[in-house]
Amino acid sequence: MLAFNQVGLTYPGAAAPALEGVGFTLSAGEHVVLLGANGSGKSTLAQLANALLLPTSGQIEVDGLIAGERAGAGERAGAGPGSGSGPGPGAVIRQIRTLVGVIAQDPDNQIISTTVLDEVAFGPENLGLPRPELARRCAQALAMVGLAGFEERDPNSLSGGEKQRLVIAGILAMQPTYLILDEPTSMLDGRGRQEVVAAIAAARARGCGILHITHEMEYARAAERALVLAEGRLVYDGAPAGLLTDQEHLEQWGLACAPQLLTAASPIERQADTGAATSAGAPGPSAEPALSLVLQDVSYAYSAGTSFAHQALRDASLTVEPGSYSLICGDNGAGKSTLLRIAAGLLQPDHGRAGFAAAESLIPVRPGDVGLVFQHPEAQLFAQSVAEDILFGPRNLATARGQRLDGSAEQTIVTEALAAVGLDAQGFAGRSPFSLSGGEMRRVAIATVLAMQPRFLLLDEPTAGLDARGRAAIHSMIAQQRAAGAGVVVVSHDLAEFAAHAEQIYRLSAGELRAEPACEPTEATIPNSPTGLRPQPGQAQAQTPVEAQSPGPGLLSEQGGPPCPS
Amino acid sequence: MPLVVPFGQYVPGTTPLHRLDARMKLLLVAAYVAALFLVHSWLGLGVCLLLLLAAFAAARIPARLALRGLKPVLVILAFTFLANALTLDAAGTESALALIGNFGISAPGVLRGLYLVLRIIALIISTVLLTLTTSVVALTDAMTSLMRPLAALRVPTEDIATMFSIALRFIPLTAAEAEKIMVAQSARGALFDQGGPIRRARAWLPVLVPLFVNLFRRADDLAAAMETRCYSGQGRSHLRVSTLHPSHAAAGLIGAILLIALGIIL
Ligand SMILES: Nc1ncnc2c1ncn2[C@@H]1O[C@H](COP(=O)(O)OP(=O)(O)OP(=O)(O)O)[C@@H](O)[C@H]1O
Ligand SMILES: [Mg+2]
Repeated sequence: MLAFNQVGLTYPGAAAPALEGVGFTLSAGEHVVLLGANGSGKSTLAQLANALLLPTSGQIEVDGLIAGERAGAGERAGAGPGSGSGPGPGAVIRQIRTLVGVIAQDPDNQIISTTVLDEVAFGPENLGLPRPELARRCAQALAMVGLAGFEERDPNSLSGGEKQRLVIAGILAMQPTYLILDEPTSMLDGRGRQEVVAAIAAARARGCGILHITHEMEYARAAERALVLAEGRLVYDGAPAGLLTDQEHLEQWGLACAPQLLTAASPIERQADTGAATSAGAPGPSAEPALSLVLQDVSYAYSAGTSFAHQALRDASLTVEPGSYSLICGDNGAGKSTLLRIAAGLLQPDHGRAGFAAAESLIPVRPGDVGLVFQHPEAQLFAQSVAEDILFGPRNLATARGQRLDGSAEQTIVTEALAAVGLDAQGFAGRSPFSLSGGEMRRVAIATVLAMQPRFLLLDEPTAGLDARGRAAIHSMIAQQRAAGAGVVVVSHDLAEFAAHAEQIYRLSAGELRAEPACEPTEATIPNSPTGLRPQPGQAQAQTPVEAQSPGPGLLSEQGGPPCPS
Repeated sequence: MPLVVPFGQYVPGTTPLHRLDARMKLLLVAAYVAALFLVHSWLGLGVCLLLLLAAFAAARIPARLALRGLKPVLVILAFTFLANALTLDAAGTESALALIGNFGISAPGVLRGLYLVLRIIALIISTVLLTLTTSVVALTDAMTSLMRPLAALRVPTEDIATMFSIALRFIPLTAAEAEKIMVAQSARGALFDQGGPIRRARAWLPVLVPLFVNLFRRADDLAAAMETRCYSGQGRSHLRVSTLHPSHAAAGLIGAILLIALGIIL
């Protein structure tokens, strides 16, 4: 049994504890889900269970073993060289680490080797196991996650889901009794998620105790027990069903968001006012007649003409009208980043055209016309302060036009961009972007794009890894942008979260873009529509995130339609 | 996203040259380079060049790919040739052609320059052939495997091998990430190729800062992932004991001995 006993942890130099008085148990073969808002201490808990961190108060017991004495509490605990020999604290930590396997969010940061087989062997090799045992464990672990036959592949050539399954296999080869997965699917596309969920189920069938850390309520339904962390304290330990119906507590713990937060408070007037105020710096959407953003039969191939050629897009056509909302759903590798780059004017298509539809021809997209927000845009923040980062784009645009922004224009831009993502300028403008929480960084990163007042906004998986409040902030930002006349395109694996809001849904697979008939009104009433997706007009803005997030991809497929994307 | 193919990138194949054990290939290239420096006649150099041509034919690699590897060293080649061919004492030397005053070309100098240039070309192209027929993974495996006996001398061979493998994994990841950040900053109006050197260097800050921040974050995650799996760099066992097939060993050893002999005799 893995038991937390009144565990607390305060990071060195931190004012408040990250975890306090946390107590729970996890038995072998049990499937528990751990929920909690961003910053509630979930990842800290995972690192404690694995003795990567040592608690500052309380005790963690793993099958009778207790890691380390208080000495280095709060610091990274190390197994230390030569710790395999002799009893000592290092040996205990080593034993705990073989009993408790931890899998983190980004598979790319957890893979060490250059072939799949070596990667799975890495852990058992560190234990110094004899060769026949190594071979047996590797074969077994690869079979469990469905990667048999991949032994000699280069991990860089695998899809996201395959990479994460490889990471899981690497841990399973250590034959752990408990498996802790820290948001294992939040970097993955729809297919990858299903693959990883299946791998977790296989591990559980072998008797592993599973602790699945997640923001996604759909996973809670599948678990036997749910734990909830709120601000470092364990506030719920019980059946998932009891939790999912308790709207009041869900909101209190940041797992759901009150419906009214989703709709923007009179966005039209606010944006109209401020649009005029900033037009000194950069002409906003209203300054020019509203044109549609159009892609006409666009094709693109990477490394064209070589043996590595890869056709990323084939005759893709897309029209985005001002104020419209389109959802594109597709796996990684289906060509979505290529499509977004072409739409943003950053990549010239091999064939076909992209630009704004004018009377006769297409006007090419210039920088700033189309705002592009990549997946995990917080990874692009660089400046010393939030304000400087936000001003980077507007200043570049002004320079390109031979103008200069004056101090008051800059201040207005910063205030408005932050307001658009629901942050107040006073509190945030002067802070370093690197001091913010994950959810705040995401919103600032989006603000850096909104600051250029783009006429169209392209967002790639904008809510991945965000908790309910963060998601609500993104949804209301989108609503505001639309109200101000911007056309919005969201690329996401999660049909359920966005389909209710989107007017048109497209599916991108193997470089081909097709409109989904399911959201045309005529078909929407047919119960067995191909994807099982029926947007409910009128309810779109009023849904709570919990409802909006379910049914998840898994449930969608149970309704008879193919999971997104097929 | 596929990156631009740099020179000498592995071209997969099934020829004997592709299949030969990478350790033996390393040995053969080393012996070939030794032979190049040992030969002391035009005949010897000619045989070396012919061997290289034969190897290219055997590996079915188009000459164009091999020659691409010479591009970065063209200046060095030209300099080597000219430094030997030109003389400042044209009047005083027989068989020299004076161009301007005492400055001219000497015939033995031209020959000497040509010899040296051909030797450098053979040297480079033989290593290019190695990288064209051997994957980077196989090459680093070969190097770590050849390095392993050094563990007896307390060289941390396990750590070096792990470092090699992490570098191999993270170089393409980092390159892809840099490209993505560049695109994102271009979308915010950043220009990377305008103005003087200082302005250009400054223009790269919005790419380099997040790139480093992300690298540190990755390094942190990676360290945790390695610790989780009990890595300590000591007491490791190995799943793959790369056995050297006798025929490969024989081919490598005989080839290397012949090459050295060739160098000494001709
Ligand atoms: N290395 C660290 N040093 C100092 N404080 C930290 C460190 N890591 C996390 N914290 C703080 O501890 C608290 C809990 O962080 P943790 O990463 O465990 O949250 P989380 O629930 O995993 O959040 P998310 O959903 O964003 O992943 C936060 O307030 C965070 O800022
Ligand atoms: Mg976390």
